[in-house]
Amino acid sequence: MTGTKHDIGWKIANELATCGVKLIASLPDNWLIDVIDTVKRDERFRHVPVNREESAIGLCSGAYMGAMGSAALMGASGFMTVIYAITKINYTYEIPLFVMATLRGAAGDHHKHHISNGLYLLRVIDAINMPYAIIDTPDEVPLISRSYRHTRTVSRPMAVLLTRDLLRGSQR
Amino acid sequence: MNYIECFRTIARHRTDELVVTSAGNSSQAWWEVTRDSDASFYLDASMSLSTMFASGLALARPEQKVWAFMGDGAFCMNPGMLMVEREMNLPNLTHFLVSNRVYGATSNASVPNFEKNDYAATARSMGLDRIFEFGSIKEIERDFAALHSANLPGHTFVVLEVEPFSDAEQKLEQPPFDGPELKYRFGRHLERRTGCNIFGYRT
Repeated sequence: MTGTKHDIGWKIANELATCGVKLIASLPDNWLIDVIDTVKRDERFRHVPVNREESAIGLCSGAYMGAMGSAALMGASGFMTVIYAITKINYTYEIPLFVMATLRGAAGDHHKHHISNGLYLLRVIDAINMPYAIIDTPDEVPLISRSYRHTRTVSRPMAVLLTRDLLRGSQR
Repeated sequence: MNYIECFRTIARHRTDELVVTSAGNSSQAWWEVTRDSDASFYLDASMSLSTMFASGLALARPEQKVWAFMGDGAFCMNPGMLMVEREMNLPNLTHFLVSNRVYGATSNASVPNFEKNDYAATARSMGLDRIFEFGSIKEIERDFAALHSANLPGHTFVVLEVEPFSDAEQKLEQPPFDGPELKYRFGRHLERRTGCNIFGYRT
């Protein structure tokens, strides 16, 4: 099953709304622009563009303590900068956090400056024992709700990693 | 202005505000003068993120007033947070910047450019309107009512110019809670106060 970029944006937005997300804090990645544009226009969400990815971690963690569902949306490079914030805030206080990040550096990403993400992103996530799910096709978008609920069950963070094929359409 | 006396004065003006403190000395100082273990979240483990955490809380609970303390050491790490705060413009949020010109939790080492940093000017450059600067207890007593009238348009930014902790003050007790205990004490308090559901499982 394939979908246009616009369709995927709406599908992801609908899935986030279904599981109770109201706040979306984001920093852009080219692959995420359609998703960000979609949630920015969607009145079901309060979209907050942040100055750095760690700020998104702080915002979403505080929103949780006020009973508001949230998601932090960022690129893979941005995720690599938030290890301190996640391990300090979300691990120390056992505050759930739902992160959506791009799976940069995987096969199909032709940007050489993301080679480091291809080499280290998954290993870094593994190193902090943070569960994650990879979403590669539109059919797998419901994993967003499942992963979001899991953060609430385990009182820990979890990430879903969105592939280029999902966000930009499949390529040969 | 003495750090502890500054906090003691501000605490006397507190009514029902939720409080978030930061890494550094603000958690020690707030604990020293209030011993509050329910309506204060001591976010010690968070360099530069206490006001972002407080912004999320204030967004989620617009009926509550939220005070967030942050040292200027943390502020130096992430001054762009003010852009996010201005963008969110939460009328129920007050950001207290505790300026002692040092990294208080790490032996009072100087923050960069400590003699020249003008935090109020930094805030103005990012479009903040409700900015206060207090350099003495007298100024706080005289003007606190103005900033305390929360839920006026725009969030509030307050610079507190204080002296670094003395050697004796550095030995003040840290809030004696593990992270999960703090989470549940604060969260259950907020659930009781507002009727919101923080910890219940979502369907």
